[in-house]
Amino acid sequence: MARAALAQQVAAPTPDQAGSPRGENTGDYNVTDSVETGYRFAVVNGSVGTYRSDVNYGDGIRLFSANLSVNSRDGHGRWFDQIVLTATGLGNDPYQSVTLRVEKNKLYRYDMLWRLDDYFNPGLPVAAGLHLMDTSRHMQDHNLTLLPESKIRFHLGYSRNTQDGPALSTVQLCFDGNIYCSTAGNEFPVFENVRREQNEYRLGADVDLAGFKLTLLHTWVFFKDDSGYQENGLEPGDNPSTGVTLSQFQRSEPYHGASPYWLGNLNRSGKTLAVNGRVTYVDGKRNFIMDENAFGVTPLGAQNQQVLVGGDASRPSLTGDLSISVFPTSRLTLVNNTSIDSTRIDGTSDYEQYNLATQTADFISFRYLGLRTIANATDFHYRMKSWFSFYGGYRYSERRIEDIEDYAVPGPFSGATYVQQNHLQAGLLGVRIKPLKAMTINLESEIGYANQPFTPVSDRDYHTLGGRIDYRVKKLTLGAVYKENYNNNSVTLSSYSSHARTYSANAAWAPRDWFTLDASYSKLHLDSLSGIVFFAGIDAASPLTSNQVYISNIHAANLIARFVLAKRVDLYVGYTITDDTGDGRGSAAPAGISDPTTVIFAPVQTFPLSYQAPLARVSIRLREKLRWNAGWQYYNYHEDFGLESFYQGYHANTGYTSVSWAF
Amino acid sequence: MSRWLLLLCACVPLIAADEYVGSAVCKTCHADVWFNFYKNPHYKSIASGDQPPERTGCEGCHGPGKAHVEARGGKTTIPRAFSLMQPKAVLDACLNCHARDFSKSNIRRSQHSLADVVCTNCHSIHKSPAAQFLLAKKQTDLCYSCHADVRAQFSMPFKHRVNEGFMNCTDCHNPHGSFAPTWGMAEGNAMVERAEGNEQPCLKCHADKRGPFAYEHPPVRVEGCGVCHMPHGSTNAKLLLRPVVFTLCLRCHNGADSFGTRNNGIPALSNTHNMLDPRYQRCTLCHVRIHGSNSDGYFFR
Repeated sequence: MARAALAQQVAAPTPDQAGSPRGENTGDYNVTDSVETGYRFAVVNGSVGTYRSDVNYGDGIRLFSANLSVNSRDGHGRWFDQIVLTATGLGNDPYQSVTLRVEKNKLYRYDMLWRLDDYFNPGLPVAAGLHLMDTSRHMQDHNLTLLPESKIRFHLGYSRNTQDGPALSTVQLCFDGNIYCSTAGNEFPVFENVRREQNEYRLGADVDLAGFKLTLLHTWVFFKDDSGYQENGLEPGDNPSTGVTLSQFQRSEPYHGASPYWLGNLNRSGKTLAVNGRVTYVDGKRNFIMDENAFGVTPLGAQNQQVLVGGDASRPSLTGDLSISVFPTSRLTLVNNTSIDSTRIDGTSDYEQYNLATQTADFISFRYLGLRTIANATDFHYRMKSWFSFYGGYRYSERRIEDIEDYAVPGPFSGATYVQQNHLQAGLLGVRIKPLKAMTINLESEIGYANQPFTPVSDRDYHTLGGRIDYRVKKLTLGAVYKENYNNNSVTLSSYSSHARTYSANAAWAPRDWFTLDASYSKLHLDSLSGIVFFAGIDAASPLTSNQVYISNIHAANLIARFVLAKRVDLYVGYTITDDTGDGRGSAAPAGISDPTTVIFAPVQTFPLSYQAPLARVSIRLREKLRWNAGWQYYNYHEDFGLESFYQGYHANTGYTSVSWAF
Repeated sequence: MSRWLLLLCACVPLIAADEYVGSAVCKTCHADVWFNFYKNPHYKSIASGDQPPERTGCEGCHGPGKAHVEARGGKTTIPRAFSLMQPKAVLDACLNCHARDFSKSNIRRSQHSLADVVCTNCHSIHKSPAAQFLLAKKQTDLCYSCHADVRAQFSMPFKHRVNEGFMNCTDCHNPHGSFAPTWGMAEGNAMVERAEGNEQPCLKCHADKRGPFAYEHPPVRVEGCGVCHMPHGSTNAKLLLRPVVFTLCLRCHNGADSFGTRNNGIPALSNTHNMLDPRYQRCTLCHVRIHGSNSDGYFFR
């Protein structure tokens, strides 16, 4: 019963093909085809914005799926030997895709992938309801391989990625002539017309020579962003008490850039030795300009402000890898990999800001960030017995970070260069036991230490523990996994530690042709402790220090059963739940607290919620090649405490009815 | 030199051409496999007509069939019966032809190979229900069958659209192994497929975050997207690690000594940031270009 698509949501098309899977012969070709089309509906209550962010299915007619394959029966088709076309969600679904493969043996192979994603961000409380987006992302990839079975193969490719649609962004203004608002500022929503585009062209070749395979690839990536921003109308802003209002705003900040990219790879794969070497170089560049005009009113009267920025940025990046795998015996595998990565990021910006009269503040600033990483990893795997093996590894990384921050105006970072180096060493050890032919037990542990991590949340002193047990026979699969990751990053001012534990179990059972069952459960537990520093109060003189706790305790389960009744009815029922129980508290903030900072930080230490999605789908064979399908899925999203007094819960009934035809 | 050649010839078990019987003989008994085999990518070896017997049709994978025919069947008489073979032998057999693909450059050192998860664990050569790549199941089902915790993440409220069919696991991962992820420090190889050069795969789609920017937010490049985001799925909006943004920022911006680009701590907030005021709890309200900016070192524009 491999055809049971056990992870499918109801939103996805019915996986079953009606009719004979062997298709019909037409001339020298065999053709199989299936099409499913119908109507989808959605009824949403509660936060429609959150529903659109999470699920986003709406009403309308769709082509749920289409599958076409045309195969040459003797492998000597005139123009092609194979065509495979698949389509999902065309018409109205927020997630649509089409794949196409056309192939002529020995001569060419063409692959195409087209996708559409309707993205909706409702402007959740993390951004005060702003940063709302309603955009579409279109992606397409085309790859053509010439002479795919020869010793020299040529590759041509093209990819395009666009994002467009309306959005709300924010801008902070104070009209005080100072770049960083020396007086109280105000934040305003501004309309954004998102227009982003990236085009990539690829040309490459593979050459097989004397047991080696050489790959050369050159790509040209061109990207641009012509998003525009504007606001016409009085906006009181997020901080009306300042008396700063915005009446008109316009910003254009187009940037164009290119990332020419080279790749060379040399590979030899043998039964006792495998070697792979790779070099890549990419030199990303972009040119940009920004023109911003704002008109508003402050307590001092009407103001206007213009900001001009122009400049460029570049990022040359060189990477090299050498990997050697040795198999001295059939039982032992030794692998060593050395990687070098060097990235430099440099840019210039000319910044000018004009205020109402003639005040002008000009300065030039730039930032340089250079990263160089050298990593070496050695792994071994020794199969001592057919039922027992052990493995391990040692990894070493050294990273050098150089930073230059320069401002023409006097400042604490003027012209200074900073360099830091970090070494991380890690060791891994594990055993794999097969007490039964169908059973595998895996236990492993890793321990690592870094002397100079970059951020307080980076790995410093960490260890992981992991275990896995799998039992697989023809009709039954059972598995369980345990993973634990503990990181402790103590520093002088504060400390950060995180402790993540994952427990999961899954089972798949197919006792009969007409019945399959699939279930999984995962518990994802995270608790972390961060040392934080902040100010509370207007122009507070001294910072406050505290520990920020965050606890997430997620229970997730998935259950799906599939029945075939009387050989003509497929019934598919399922239930999915994600339940974050948080730290077990009954209310967002402990009762009786009055300290204002505790009132702020306590409610965000945990975020309990639940997300449930039961589903049912039925597919009935009406004729040999015709089926009728119907599906229903219910979504229920509930936040126990909400965020900043916002509750974004919703519940929705979605469903569809369709017919599928196939031969 | 000639003595060495003689010795080499004596040591290498040569298979006589007459040990091969041809696929036409195999179909006599295995008609069910043969019936649709012309749809199988491996049929190319038969259609081409110019491949040697050891790379043609059934025997190209299973080895010479004469003994199997003479024994009138039986798995043990098949030189390469994959269900009886050790994982490394399966890998060796498939890589006889498939090692030429660039996407498999790291298969010998991939986490799957080292864990004895090899070709036939994911591919069904004769009974694949998938439209492409002879997968044993739909790709997500295949990956979820071992990675149940990842399945849970993709069922969360905020997730990449994998279950919905917009994406596949292989958009970000290469199950055949990948190059070392040197954007991090001594990271285990999670078979993450990179974008250009050595960039994180996120940037393949989220091109607007790629830069280069005149002002990069350093952790984006130094620690990677995972320092703030959960890549598979999250209970928090925008796949963030925390439900509200200020708790995310304050984890690093605490001025604690020895961190950051200047070695003296990642700057703490200034005293103008009164955290009692909700405005200052919404960091990205002002710092809108948090991934990097062309115009502003503090990511205001």
